Amino acid sequence: MSLLQTIDVVKRFGGLIAVNKINFSIEQGTIASIIGPNGAGKTTFFNSLTGIYKPEEGQILFNGQSLIGLRPDQVSTRGISRTFQNIRLFGNMTVIENIIVGMHTQLKQGATDALFRTKKFHEEEKEAENRASQLMEYVGLKNVGNQLARNLPYGAQRRIEIARAIAANPTLLLLDEPTAGMNPNETADAIKLFRHIRDDKGITILLIEHDMRVVMGISEHISVMDYGEKIAEGTPKDIRNNQRVIEAYLGREAAKLRD
Amino acid sequence: MKTFFNDLYKKANKGPWPLIITVGLMVIGSITVYQSPRSLGAFLTLMLCPMMIYFLKINTKVKIFMGLLLAIVIIPVLGIRNIFYLEVIFQMAVFAALALGLNIVIGMAGLLDLGYVAFYAVGAYSWAIFGSKQLSLLHSIPGAAPAGAEFSLSPSYFWLFLFLGVGLAALAGILLGLPVLRLRGDYLAIVTLGFGEVIRVLALNLDKPINLTNGPQGITPIQRPPLPPGFILEPIRSLLTPIVGHVPTDAEFYNVFFYLLALVVILIAIAVATRLEDSRIGRAWAAIREDETAAIAMGIPLVRMKLAAFAAGASFAGCMGVLYAANRTFVSPETFSFLQSIGVLTMVILGGLGSIPGVIFGAGAVVILNIQVLQNFSLYLSALRQSDAVIPIINFAWKDLSNQLDPAKYQKLVFGIILVVMMIFRPEGLIPAERRKRELVEDKE
Amino acid sequence: MKQFTSNPFYKFILFPIGQMLVFILGASLALSLFIILLAFLFRSNVTDFDLVERTLLILPQVLINGITIGFVYATIALGYTMVYGVLEFINFSHSEIFMVGGIVGVELMAYFDHTGALQTMNQYVVIGLAILLGMVISGSLAVTIERIAYKPLRGAPRLVPLISAIGMSFFLQDAVRLILSLTTGEFNVILPNFGTFDEFLILAVPGIENPLRFQIKSILLVGVTVIMLVGLNYLVNGTKVGKAIRAVAQDRPSASLMGINVNLIISITFLIGGALGGAAGVLFAIKATRLDPFVGFFPGLKAFTAAVLGGIGNLTGALLGGLILGLLESFGASYLSIFTNGAFGAEYKDILAFAILIIVLIIRPSGLLGQTVAQKA
Repeated sequence: MSLLQTIDVVKRFGGLIAVNKINFSIEQGTIASIIGPNGAGKTTFFNSLTGIYKPEEGQILFNGQSLIGLRPDQVSTRGISRTFQNIRLFGNMTVIENIIVGMHTQLKQGATDALFRTKKFHEEEKEAENRASQLMEYVGLKNVGNQLARNLPYGAQRRIEIARAIAANPTLLLLDEPTAGMNPNETADAIKLFRHIRDDKGITILLIEHDMRVVMGISEHISVMDYGEKIAEGTPKDIRNNQRVIEAYLGREAAKLRD
Repeated sequence: MKTFFNDLYKKANKGPWPLIITVGLMVIGSITVYQSPRSLGAFLTLMLCPMMIYFLKINTKVKIFMGLLLAIVIIPVLGIRNIFYLEVIFQMAVFAALALGLNIVIGMAGLLDLGYVAFYAVGAYSWAIFGSKQLSLLHSIPGAAPAGAEFSLSPSYFWLFLFLGVGLAALAGILLGLPVLRLRGDYLAIVTLGFGEVIRVLALNLDKPINLTNGPQGITPIQRPPLPPGFILEPIRSLLTPIVGHVPTDAEFYNVFFYLLALVVILIAIAVATRLEDSRIGRAWAAIREDETAAIAMGIPLVRMKLAAFAAGASFAGCMGVLYAANRTFVSPETFSFLQSIGVLTMVILGGLGSIPGVIFGAGAVVILNIQVLQNFSLYLSALRQSDAVIPIINFAWKDLSNQLDPAKYQKLVFGIILVVMMIFRPEGLIPAERRKRELVEDKE
Repeated sequence: MKQFTSNPFYKFILFPIGQMLVFILGASLALSLFIILLAFLFRSNVTDFDLVERTLLILPQVLINGITIGFVYATIALGYTMVYGVLEFINFSHSEIFMVGGIVGVELMAYFDHTGALQTMNQYVVIGLAILLGMVISGSLAVTIERIAYKPLRGAPRLVPLISAIGMSFFLQDAVRLILSLTTGEFNVILPNFGTFDEFLILAVPGIENPLRFQIKSILLVGVTVIMLVGLNYLVNGTKVGKAIRAVAQDRPSASLMGINVNLIISITFLIGGALGGAAGVLFAIKATRLDPFVGFFPGLKAFTAAVLGGIGNLTGALLGGLILGLLESFGASYLSIFTNGAFGAEYKDILAFAILIIVLIIRPSGLLGQTVAQKA
């Protein structure tokens, strides 16, 4: 059984069909990508998976259970964590706090524990803090724990967003254009990090990417979207040689370059 | 300018200076307030004292000792000698508690609530209705109370209602929040404003079909809890007589009593606010304030957390409402107007959204401004009006000044200017919020 | 047919007026049927008079009142909705712009009264001048406020300009009070008594026992607002400035790239909205005859409710919302007391608007004529 499977998912905005009958699946422990030109419906598809949008038709199964109708926080509790295309950190909170917010569903303390500062509270807070520090180092950052997230450079913010996402102990990690705006060195580091996350923590990764080098270098499985539809899928090698992909995706991009 | 103050702060914060400054302020403040009962300068000197105790570097035990000395010895004694200051401080305490509550909603969770005073009204009216004769007047016309109406509860029930007020206001917060918390921020603001008005209009008009609120006339008398028994009170009374220069009356003791009670509520409010802020719930509120979409993607249930913020904020107001009703022995719908909601908002904005010391400072500053500075200004103007003074160049005689010009009535002007100026020049407030710095292992390396 | 619809006379005069008529008739009819149905249902509960008869007796007057006040709300609502369309921001101080217009208009008439000119001048010229002055002052005030209190905050989080606007609203109320107190010693302004506005135009309709009575001020009010609404429709849909406003509302960055001076367009939007608010203020003053600096609060909130009800950002929606709200309020004020046997009455009409606002926002936040726009995550 696939970890995540979508069956004929449709998402419309008024007359516009943003996602049209997408059938998609991802196996446990793989790194898969969705690629496609701008406006192909990739992010809308992500938002449909995570409950931000409610698809009009179709089924989404995660570990065999339907995600349709769940709120984003409920989807998160089921074990799907994500990052955003345009980084969405909690700017006025410290780095450590950002990561601890990622553990929200893991922490057990209630209001009374917080008010009376019970032993349970102190232990849990200390543990969360330590784990957050570890996660910060895990994504390659040091000595920034007490800084406000908005004061960090771009690349570091991307890393913190990933640390925050893995803090939730997800089974599936959704990354929305995680290397956008990075230079080649940073991109190479990021690719290493994604692999490491999968190998080390066993987290399945699905990413949306624009950068073909990233996608081809890291993915074990690629799906291609265009105008809301899935036009191809397979291994990087299959995709590279797929005539329709070259026409729809590369062709149009090339045409854009010519203009 | 800024560096000048920074340097000054650094110099004042070295060696024996902090202690000298605070003790000096305390002594000078106490003596001047004792001597000149209506001087604003004297009062401000005394009020600088707690600020210095908070901000300067002093041994924590000494800080606590000085704070207690000021709060439970100096202020009550000065207050019995001169009731006016105790009233100012009591109001500061009431509004500080309201500001702390509103700060949870606006500052911590980022939800603009323009009808906050409604929860204050819920608390006040709950004790007003049950702690007065109102229950036996349900079927009579307002103002035409039959003789021999009885109080429905004994005054000791006040203590129960202090807690009931918390619960009722929190419940009102949840009932309002359930339908409206899905709304976007600016719509939420207008809807809460509407809710505040609805509560006020209900208080104004629920004298029929049954007379629940006594309409615009308000409810009075409302009972106060009994004072401590004579064997505690009498020694204090005889001890204080030579110090304050007269025999303290029961009314004066009640003022001290309510002041101390408000102080306890404030301390609890501060403890609750700080402890919630630095916990899973507080972090979830901050996350919602910063970015709702990201917060919900992290598994934070938006509506439930917002409801919690609404309920927590409302509960502070409910508790203070009960206290206020008993202190004044009178409530009327006028107290719970939109102006009051904006007044509390102004305190929070002035002090600093999300900043606990900030909003307490904001409450103090706005109360002093309102009932001291503006009133003194009013008195000054009316003195001028009685005189023969003339403004030289334009040849304007002060006695021609309109009677309508009473600065004490221009609160809206003051609130308005504060809100606009703060938003443009210093949206983070005078004492901005700071995130707690953690002692991380990495920093020690 | 196509030729006919593109005819400017049809497009800018006939069509908007037709639309207003449809809205008036539709809303009036729906509410009337509803109240008559209610009257039949509750008929047996009331014994001392015939509920249906009483309902029908006052119905025409209730409708006329509702439509009159509805037009005032619609005119104010346009100011909220235009600014919201362009800046996505609730201009909380719009209610004070409205108040200032009204007070300036009344002060002008009081000045004419003082100089003795009032009794000799044509009454419609006086009203016209008052409205004009109200529009100029309110329009420029709105632009000034935008420059001082909102422009520096563009790009800040949503609640920041809203709080600034609330502050501005409070500041203006007391500032006007201060100015009035210092100059006249009294902060209530009272409309001087002149002209024939209080008289009634009586129209006997065959089949109805009592003749319909239209107060001249109501006719004046509706007439002036209709002219302004038609003018606004032309301005927004028929001129270059209107096109620019619509472009900025759609997509500010793109409009800026296309060479539109966005700041200027925002100022023009505030100018138009403010001028409409000022005119509405003068008309409201003619109806209310007595104003104070705090009079803007409730009409302002109701107009905002009307804008939300119609679909905020949508000009036609503001008109429809204003009419519906005016009618609902008029119905509430007149019938609540009759139907509840005096237990609840007209004193609840001010919070009726909030109840409607809450219900609309919960059930259909995009309003009656608004479109649901997906928020991009």
